[in-house]
Amino acid sequence: MALQGHIRIVLFSALCAMLVSAKRANGQLPVESHAKVELMAEENTMPAGKSLWIGILFHLDEGWHIYWQNAGDSGEPPKVQWELPPGFAVGTIRWPQPLRLGSGSIVDYGYQGEVLLMAPMDGPTRSRVISIPSICAVVKYIVCREICVPGKAQLTLSFPQASETSQRRALFGRARAQLPKSVPASWRTSAESDKDHFILFVRTNSQVHSAAFLPVKPGEVENSAAQGFVSTGRGFRLTLQKSTQLTKSISVLRGLVVLGPGRAFEVAVPVVAR
Amino acid sequence: MSKRFAELVVAGLAILIGFSVALAARVGEPAPDFTATDTNGKVHKLSEYRGKFVVLEWTNRDCPYTQKQYNSRNMQRLQREWTGKGVIWLTIISSAPGKQGYVTASEENAYLKEINAAPTAVLLDPTGAVGQLYDAKTTPHMFIINSQGTLIYNGAIDDRPTTDLADVNGAKNYVSVSLQEATSGKPVSNPTTRPYGCSVKYPN
Repeated sequence: MALQGHIRIVLFSALCAMLVSAKRANGQLPVESHAKVELMAEENTMPAGKSLWIGILFHLDEGWHIYWQNAGDSGEPPKVQWELPPGFAVGTIRWPQPLRLGSGSIVDYGYQGEVLLMAPMDGPTRSRVISIPSICAVVKYIVCREICVPGKAQLTLSFPQASETSQRRALFGRARAQLPKSVPASWRTSAESDKDHFILFVRTNSQVHSAAFLPVKPGEVENSAAQGFVSTGRGFRLTLQKSTQLTKSISVLRGLVVLGPGRAFEVAVPVVAR
Repeated sequence: MSKRFAELVVAGLAILIGFSVALAARVGEPAPDFTATDTNGKVHKLSEYRGKFVVLEWTNRDCPYTQKQYNSRNMQRLQREWTGKGVIWLTIISSAPGKQGYVTASEENAYLKEINAAPTAVLLDPTGAVGQLYDAKTTPHMFIINSQGTLIYNGAIDDRPTTDLADVNGAKNYVSVSLQEATSGKPVSNPTTRPYGCSVKYPN
């Protein structure tokens, strides 16, 4: 393959069709915004045969939050509708480790401050120089503090200026560090199910002092319920109360095992009935 | 027993604190009974409606998910349709004083007129007691109780968890479908769904 090095991206100034055609949702009042949203690329060249990482950056007003892919008990995750030139594709959003928000009987999962929702973009693989008519996205989200305000942003992908490249890489690097990691090869995980609980066993071969499980799918684990943590010396177990919304048995429990900030691990554990 | 054990206990406690377990009303079980006062000062006791179907609708007029249903007139239409067929429709406001959606009785009565709402009654629950009894999480959050007093539906208003008015048309309305099924003697096909909306604004 002659494809080596970087493909140069040439940006057109064409307006996104959806920007032109987008209409305000009828009947809804204009609302105050508590989020500033941008669509940006990590690099201004596209590595041949590799993905270019792009991201939706939310700057949230102090105290306000948006939601994880599992919003928890209220709210909803941001939804992105891409408008891409032929030959381009954007992969799924890589959701950084969320915060557990709320208290009492209502618990949500989301982000405060600044959060970058990254996704890989692939372009046509044949040509060395790609002319990209603008990459566009419409992002719908709900931003909440005590109250909730829906938002909609119509975005065009921006590439870093020469002076911004290191800053931009650092931003993506920070976001990457917040992504949940694969479970270390040395770990062993298993799960049991009884009438009202899942019991998740994690063998880490080290002493763990606290851990939490964040369910990736809504309606499986009761978000506000206490998670019974027991250290087992070589790892731990967590007893998770089943959601009252769970009406069928599940064969795999998916979620994040969180040991601390920047220490979230993606698990998909087969569930065995007790 | 050592420092290490103490650390474990502390870690365990740290997780327990700040979590609280609410025992939710479960589909298929008797609906928890309650007493609450409506915006006209009338006291309603759920068990007094035995023999009729009852809908419980949690609301907060300033929540965009609730506004989606009311600005589209969908909720009013459902209230008219089903109260017209003898169903008791109780709208419940569990916002605490000072929080979003909290209203006085007279404010709510004026608002009901303005939006042309048609529930049987609007119950004021500023302590959140009824909300906590049912573990109402969101506005809207919908419950249906059958004529025997059994909870037969607990969940969302429909299957489009967004704030877009445009999503009302074409959505599968779980309340309509469940009431149609149950009132014609059929089992409810989706008795439990995930409610969506704003969090209920309980007292801190």
